[in-house]
Amino acid sequence: MKGLSSLERAVLECLGKKSLTYDEVQFQSGLHENVCFNILQALIIRGIIATDGMRYRISDNLSPLIQEEINGMSAKLAESMEIIEAVLDQPDGRNFKFAKIAMDARDEKIFLAMLSNLESFLLDAHKKAEPMVPLKDRKVVFWGVGEVSTLMHQMIRGR
Amino acid sequence: MSLQKKTLFRYRQYFPQETLRETSARTGIQITRVFRLFNGKTMKVGELEAFEAAVNLRIAENPNMSLLSEAVESAGAILTNEELAKVTDYVQRKVKARSFSRMYIRNDYTNASIA
Repeated sequence: MKGLSSLERAVLECLGKKSLTYDEVQFQSGLHENVCFNILQALIIRGIIATDGMRYRISDNLSPLIQEEINGMSAKLAESMEIIEAVLDQPDGRNFKFAKIAMDARDEKIFLAMLSNLESFLLDAHKKAEPMVPLKDRKVVFWGVGEVSTLMHQMIRGR
Repeated sequence: MSLQKKTLFRYRQYFPQETLRETSARTGIQITRVFRLFNGKTMKVGELEAFEAAVNLRIAENPNMSLLSEAVESAGAILTNEELAKVTDYVQRKVKARSFSRMYIRNDYTNASIA
């Protein structure tokens, strides 16, 4: 498997540029105690995280190979798929809409403008609340758009 | 990896938390013998079959397992290399996410005392 799993990514995002104790990582990530510990151990073994026994932080000297592995596009896409699938599988409070919408050129422009507005709203909201809201309480938001025929051809070609 | 090692490794994947006593009961092999086998003693054919049978029984409990095997067979024949990589990555991610909850058990030494 290339890259990180979304669980590992969550732990790394909790750490960010900080150095946290185990309890802080667990609080931030909201992961079960054992799971959190196992993920930290796995990341330490891979050399992505360093610890002095009390606190955990992202290693200072990550090799370019590992950096590419963590931040590579294909690995990130696979991670997104994991999270999106989890959203779809949510037993309660699932809010997911999927539709094939007929749009004329004018409406398409309006729609894209609205998406752009939505994106800047989300960025502002995140910037404002980031210091107060731990990772576990953040919301996963995703959107995307594609043309049916292009997507169908892509599926047939196997890409 | 030898066939014996492979069999025991596979058995452990299906029954990761099992004690020697439970393995003994499941396979019908004496507990001391199970201990020896897990420590590298050479297996007899009957013992190998007992471990295989236990794994096969566990697989049979889950009918989707055979569907998955069939799907993998067809995928190998039809899908492109790129698609196979995606499917592999997908399965590996699923396995990894689940394995985090069953790998190591964190020791809690906070209330431990030295006897």
